[in-house]
Amino acid sequence: MNRQTIVLDPAHGGLDGGSRIGDTLLEKDITLALAFKLRSLLTARGFTVIMTRDTDVPTTPNAQGSALTLDDRAGIANHARASACLLLHATGAGNGVHLYHSDLDPAPYEAAPLPWLTAQAAWAPESAHLERQLGAALHRAAVPSVLSSASVRPVDSLTCPALIVELAPEGDDPASIQDADYQQRVAESLAAALVFWPQQTHPPLRLVAAPHAAPVPPTTAGAKP
Amino acid sequence: MISRHQRIVFWSLLGCIVAMALLLFFTRQRERDRVTSLADKTPIDAPATTAEPVTLTLANDADGSITNSQREIALPTETTARARALIDRLLADYAQPGSAHPLESGSAVNEVFLLPLPVVGHTLSPAPAANPNDRRPTVPVASADPNALQPRSPGGELAVIDLRSNFVNRHPSGVEVESLTLLSIIGTLHANLPQIEAVRFLVDGQPRETLAGHADLLRTYPSKDTTTPATPNL
Repeated sequence: MNRQTIVLDPAHGGLDGGSRIGDTLLEKDITLALAFKLRSLLTARGFTVIMTRDTDVPTTPNAQGSALTLDDRAGIANHARASACLLLHATGAGNGVHLYHSDLDPAPYEAAPLPWLTAQAAWAPESAHLERQLGAALHRAAVPSVLSSASVRPVDSLTCPALIVELAPEGDDPASIQDADYQQRVAESLAAALVFWPQQTHPPLRLVAAPHAAPVPPTTAGAKP
Repeated sequence: MISRHQRIVFWSLLGCIVAMALLLFFTRQRERDRVTSLADKTPIDAPATTAEPVTLTLANDADGSITNSQREIALPTETTARARALIDRLLADYAQPGSAHPLESGSAVNEVFLLPLPVVGHTLSPAPAANPNDRRPTVPVASADPNALQPRSPGGELAVIDLRSNFVNRHPSGVEVESLTLLSIIGTLHANLPQIEAVRFLVDGQPRETLAGHADLLRTYPSKDTTTPATPNL
């Protein structure tokens, strides 16, 4: 695990605008703005930050111009072997920050080969731990937060402590979600909580397939040793 | 003086008029008899079905809670039709004005399919269930059984819910609102059809990644009690 590496996935992008917040705001723009703020704060704290996209058009791992699928995003995150993966979303419903971890049943170890659609199961306890840490940090910053679980692609395919961070408006006004001060306060809370996270997280046990016994060459009667 | 050929035309036309009148009269009589016979076969009242208590698992967007609510509704006897009727009723509740989880009105489900679930290592217990309405319990197969690793069908079922694209395309987008819809459907099926052990979703017969950009539609969800208390803001 690269303990000083954090993956940020600003959800949606390009033709996929995500949910519409108010009359004019698109989810993809809010998630990207929050990701930029988080990246700056985390980089300043010594982290290596990998973003699955840093423009409106999703970056593509192997080819230019093609769409970035949800599985592509999971692949980028898994290859980084990060200590935390944050999937950034935004909504006009509710207020504060909604934190979700995968609702897969926790598995005691990582199986080999790893099932793609349930790879997060072994990391579920660590993800729940991270959720509590970030929730406490938001609480200290007086940002309302809701902690829950959900199955949102591609979180179930991630092999890192992974959370869905859904930013909601600060109050009743949906437009407050694009307030730079509010976004900065949320980003600072999350970044502050992540500073001590690399020393607190532990990857799950990984089951390795038992090596096959070397085949014994047949002995021939009367052969010389 | 009327010429001969004019008289012939006159009588021919008169004959035609009389023939047409007779044809119309008998055709009308035949159609009236047909409609009358149809009306006799049409029941005046809907077939009598007794309403039965069901549990709807209802979501609330305001606090993210899911709670059970009792209703009395008439359901068909066939299991897949019951499953579909339950989901339709649940989503119709959400389309009512003032709903705590507002969704667009309209039919949402094309069809519900129930498939037997194969499992490995367990089989049906020879002992009957304590409650006659419950499924027979499952027990591990004997280790000496040479077919211990063969898949068996101890009675559990996978429900495949084929949603209409009209419903999916108009569903509100967001992690919470989409998750609540899925959990509400799963909880309602679990509460009323305990033989369902897992649930999958299709859209117009095809797999789709997400409901409206967020909630996962590719995974198989375990059928379980999805009720939750209201989540207080920290």
